Amino acid sequence: MSDERARTWTLRRGEPGYPPALLDLGTDAPGRLFGCGNRTLVGGLELGHTVTIVGSRRPSSYGLRVAEDLGRLLAAAGLVVVSGMARGIDAAAHRGALAGAGVTLAVLGSGADVVYPASERRLYRDILSSGAVISEAPPGQRPEPGAFPKRNRIMAALGAITVVVEAAQPSGSLITARQALKLQREVGAVPGPVTSRVSEGTNDLIADGAAPIRGAQDVLDRLLGVGIEAIRRCGPPLEPELAGVAEAIELGSRTCDAVAAASGMVADGVAVALARLELLGYVQSDPAGCYSRTTLIPPES
Amino acid sequence: MLASARTFALLGIEAREVQVEADVASGGLPSFSLVGLPDPAVRESRERVRSALVNSGFKFPMRRITANLAPANLRKAGPSFDLAIAAALLAASGQLPPERLSGIALAGELALDGSIRPVPGILAMAEAARELDTEAIAVPAPNAPEAALAGEPRVVPLVRLEQLALLGTEGEPLAPSGPIWSADGADPAAPDLADLRGQPYLRYALEVAAAGGHSVLIVGPPGAGKSLAARRLPSIMPPLSRSEAMEVLRIASVCGRSPGPDTPTRPFRAPHHTISTAGLVGGGSPPRPGEVTLSHRGVLFLDELGEFSREALEALRQPLEEGRVTIVRARHAIELPCRFMLVAASNPCPCGRGEESGECDCQPASTRRYRAKLSGALADRIDIAISVERPSAEDMGAAPTSDSASVRDRAIAARQRQERRLGAGRCNAEMNLVELRSSCGMDEKAAAMLANGHARLRLSGRGHDRVLRLSRTIADLEGCERVSGDHVARALTLRRRGPD
Repeated sequence: MSDERARTWTLRRGEPGYPPALLDLGTDAPGRLFGCGNRTLVGGLELGHTVTIVGSRRPSSYGLRVAEDLGRLLAAAGLVVVSGMARGIDAAAHRGALAGAGVTLAVLGSGADVVYPASERRLYRDILSSGAVISEAPPGQRPEPGAFPKRNRIMAALGAITVVVEAAQPSGSLITARQALKLQREVGAVPGPVTSRVSEGTNDLIADGAAPIRGAQDVLDRLLGVGIEAIRRCGPPLEPELAGVAEAIELGSRTCDAVAAASGMVADGVAVALARLELLGYVQSDPAGCYSRTTLIPPES
Repeated sequence: MLASARTFALLGIEAREVQVEADVASGGLPSFSLVGLPDPAVRESRERVRSALVNSGFKFPMRRITANLAPANLRKAGPSFDLAIAAALLAASGQLPPERLSGIALAGELALDGSIRPVPGILAMAEAARELDTEAIAVPAPNAPEAALAGEPRVVPLVRLEQLALLGTEGEPLAPSGPIWSADGADPAAPDLADLRGQPYLRYALEVAAAGGHSVLIVGPPGAGKSLAARRLPSIMPPLSRSEAMEVLRIASVCGRSPGPDTPTRPFRAPHHTISTAGLVGGGSPPRPGEVTLSHRGVLFLDELGEFSREALEALRQPLEEGRVTIVRARHAIELPCRFMLVAASNPCPCGRGEESGECDCQPASTRRYRAKLSGALADRIDIAISVERPSAEDMGAAPTSDSASVRDRAIAARQRQERRLGAGRCNAEMNLVELRSSCGMDEKAAAMLANGHARLRLSGRGHDRVLRLSRTIADLEGCERVSGDHVARALTLRRRGPD
């Protein structure tokens, strides 16, 4: 653990790099935050591009699947997925985000360098490879019972929307939802079977007026506007030929041959164009050599 | 009386000299014992020899007979010792002048009626006989053209055991001439690339693979033409050189496929995914060549890569890296050559329909596991990865664009450039780090593009080298000395991505 402690950093309230979203907690905002991993991610968090996903530590397979899908699709859309790395829904959301090649942020109740639960050591390492782990507790602090409800307020403040995937009554996840409401953040809940104990809390939330979350698009509709599928950023300008290839990829061509057929270019030229587009960040390829568009959009000409 | 005859035992694809000593002793009860580590098939040789001698008009001596196969520590297997045992016995019993057997090697299986049956591995034996400066080798007549491939020694084709008496006399059966191979080594019966409709990029990937000897992974749904394409790869590879052809024929001969008069072509092997590790890399006792050796100088096609067992794929590592496989057994270790091009094909997901098709009902987790397998075991040995889709209706109706011959001519030209740089018989896929650095002269644009790729695409060290190798081959195909930006760009698109 010592090597992780060596790499912990500290963010102080009022100093640059401290996430502005936490200031909404007023006097309750943590004075110091300790973290491991990608420090600039934490400082650069934009409220409006974050989603907090929480839920039961003993979820059903339905809950696990929904949490993983939400994490994956939302991260792929460019949102930062915030959760608590607890067993169950939290871990599934982190895992999904990593599978979506996105970044994810874990807020711990123990010290940021203490892996709790210990069974999630691998997930912890994966999160650190691109994202970050933060905590209000000093490095080396073992988990204590009172720490978790306090940690929940940080998660609630960091997320533009807090989505509860599955929660029994009563539940720590519902505390997070309540704190999000107090901060005037949005709260969403994934509907579940009325016969399932772990869906009692979420169904109650919906009955009380929380947004029903049927899939990633419901979250994106609320954060980015109805029908927008991803956060889009502007890329460098494109030559007409490259723009044509990028458009063919956007319209569903995934291989060189398909782009060549769609655009009328020779396959050879398409290969060159795709490599250049990938270097510019407009397209990405999977290990099998299948191309897809990234969220980058060309500048208006 | 004592007499001996020379024959060979096969070990892997090598033939080792074996001396058959026969002693016909007077006194004691009549018996026939065979010593010198014979396996059951060799021990049964006694019964075949006895019947064959009697049925060919010779006498089987009713004495105490001992036949010894020397060296005694080498395990002998198979029926190819019959002929030499019979010859030694005839000489020892005074029915054949012993000097006729000096300077001659014999191999063949006897039938009970005295006729001689063909045996595997004759080419390897003839080559070994040549190394030993043997004057002649007597072989079953069906194996004679194969033995003639070795050039020397003189080949004596035998049909029946009686003909042993003619050895070294005027009446000795005439040696056949070796087959005459066509100069360009093209196999007119091989499937042609013209059968592949549309899919110009897939053709291009195959062309680069053939030109540089790069291994390929093709990913796509069933019906996308993956195995159709793979089967046509040998037809666009440069023809076998004389020495390569002899290696290929010798392996085929040891495995019991006696080479015909046709010009040898590059082997294409497509083992089923249920194959065992030993079947793939070779094994068993005595060790037999596996599919990797059978595809030496040709193509090993692994369809449904994800379905092969992990052990089998792991075992491919050493062969791919070193071009040879070493099989160690309790009694001996043998080394088999296996310089092959690997072509692997896979579906995009376990059900084969592909996530994006909308018809796929695979769990994301199982798809992830399936893909992890593709990027696991062998990935670092595969240079090219390409995704293909089913050709459209227009593609299927389109006229063929180019046939194998034209693509092959380009590949041959590219290989010649590589051989000038790297030495005979070598290709870009085998370049080591030093050769890679020294041979890939890049212009400024190419260097900038590669540096950009390093930063943006997070290329690993190996990924970087892979792009260099591929761009070198692409430049060779176009006849360029220096690697340009476009060459690097094409290599970036062709390269296999993912972990190393």
